Amino acid sequence: MIKYENVLTTCPYCGTGCALHLQVLDNTLVGVLPAKNHIISNGGLCIKGWNAHAFVNHPDRLNKPLIRKNGKLKEATWDEALKLVADKLGAIKTESGPDSVAFLSSAKCTNEENYLMQKFARAVIGTNNVDHCARL
Amino acid sequence: MMHEPKIIGFLCNWCSYRGADSAGMARLKYPPNIKIIRVPCSGRISPELVLRTFREGADAVMVLGCHIGDCHYSTGNHRTAKRMPVLKKLLEYTGIESERLYINWVSAAEGEKFATVIKDFTEKISALPPFVETMK
Amino acid sequence: MSDRLTSLHEAIEKVLPDLDGVLALKSGPGGIVSPYLFSKEHPEELAKLAIWPKEPVPDTLKIILRAHPDAKLAIVCRGCEERGIVEMFKHAQLGLDNLTLIGLQCEKDEAEFCRCAKPFTVHAKTIVGQPIEGVADPLTEQVSALSQPEKLAFWKQEFEHCIKCYGCRNICPQCFCNICALEDEKWVETGRLPMAKPSMYHLVRAMHMTAKCVACRECEETCPADIPMAVHFRLIARDVKEMFNYETGADMEQKPPQLLVLEEGEYDRTGLPH
Repeated sequence: MIKYENVLTTCPYCGTGCALHLQVLDNTLVGVLPAKNHIISNGGLCIKGWNAHAFVNHPDRLNKPLIRKNGKLKEATWDEALKLVADKLGAIKTESGPDSVAFLSSAKCTNEENYLMQKFARAVIGTNNVDHCARL
Repeated sequence: MMHEPKIIGFLCNWCSYRGADSAGMARLKYPPNIKIIRVPCSGRISPELVLRTFREGADAVMVLGCHIGDCHYSTGNHRTAKRMPVLKKLLEYTGIESERLYINWVSAAEGEKFATVIKDFTEKISALPPFVETMK
Repeated sequence: MSDRLTSLHEAIEKVLPDLDGVLALKSGPGGIVSPYLFSKEHPEELAKLAIWPKEPVPDTLKIILRAHPDAKLAIVCRGCEERGIVEMFKHAQLGLDNLTLIGLQCEKDEAEFCRCAKPFTVHAKTIVGQPIEGVADPLTEQVSALSQPEKLAFWKQEFEHCIKCYGCRNICPQCFCNICALEDEKWVETGRLPMAKPSMYHLVRAMHMTAKCVACRECEETCPADIPMAVHFRLIARDVKEMFNYETGADMEQKPPQLLVLEEGEYDRTGLPH
């Protein structure tokens, strides 16, 4: 049985919130279609939205945390990776002060995740160096 | 206002380039504004090439090939005859003077025709404003 | 439910049991419409059948047929979409042997929205709705009546808005090349907006649409900058009709002029010197 459907979703790339359809053929993501009668994007997409399906099954996509050991990236557990980041951030903060750390957030994250990050930056580390990728 | 136009001529190796040669051998004079590029066949000249030549700042483009029926590759210049009139129309619809693109057939024996064609065309293009000015 | 939707529903129900699927439009969450392959396994989905706004179904059909070349499908197509399918067939993008066309005739307001000259199907055996005559295209007439400097100013301004999303190419049923000239840095420079003038992107695309554009206006509809690029394609289509006596999607047997050599008498109509 051939199965083709479109899944309505929001473009993950920036904060505009364009709607797009993910074209799903036999349970595999094959492409993107803009959503025509959607109130925000009105059938339009930018080049990022048009390629929003490309990263999902990309072989270069990171699935596990990697830690560089002896010059080579090696797979690690989340506990290991988070501990390493926490240790190093703590060390930098003690050594050079909180403003030596900057936080870059992403429009791919949800509102709540972004809120958490700035809270972490301001309340835990103590810096206002917060920016994001979607300076469009 | 008259100016010294920059004209790029795409000449087919088998007829028009030989035609230019025979114009030279007969010591015929023609304006030096044309810069000749030898191509295997006028059918090689895609619309992309013509448009890029304009974008690079040429005032006019000439495509000279074998007479219909005389093509070294039998139907190579049929392509020229099919696509170039459409490209001329497209230039016209975009508001670019379609005279800036010139197509004619010059055989190896027609040195005199070659010199006349270049002379007349250069005069005509000199009367037009420089292409880069119109694009500002 | 409108009459047309009811009869379309009936037409699909009639053919559905014998086929692997029927490609039509389905209303999704929030009334957002998208192409969907209705199947005999899930006939209840037909309750969500939709007809407007039109979506690029020929392109979707191509995606399905590339994965399932032998599938027996039907497609609900409007006049423009039928032309798109015919032209794709002529350029060997899909086969028509196992395909049933269900022709959906456009209504007056839809035709006017698309400035469509042929809002009806010609090849489909099953027809839904009443065929109507084509409507005028005021924008194309308006632009072609401009003087040469006015035209230049008009298009310069329009192309300046282009954000190079490549949406017009992506959504076009006739843009199926594996290697696209518009992605070649030789022709379309990268990393610069607005593009250098003259806009290579739009002029190259207009040339590539010669004798291919089926006037579905999907490109204009998806353009985030509202560039009326179909005006170019329509003017050229008139020249192609005059020079090569070719109309896209009309005659199933007639080959497109770019695949042929010059025919007797054709040269005279190109306006080239003798």
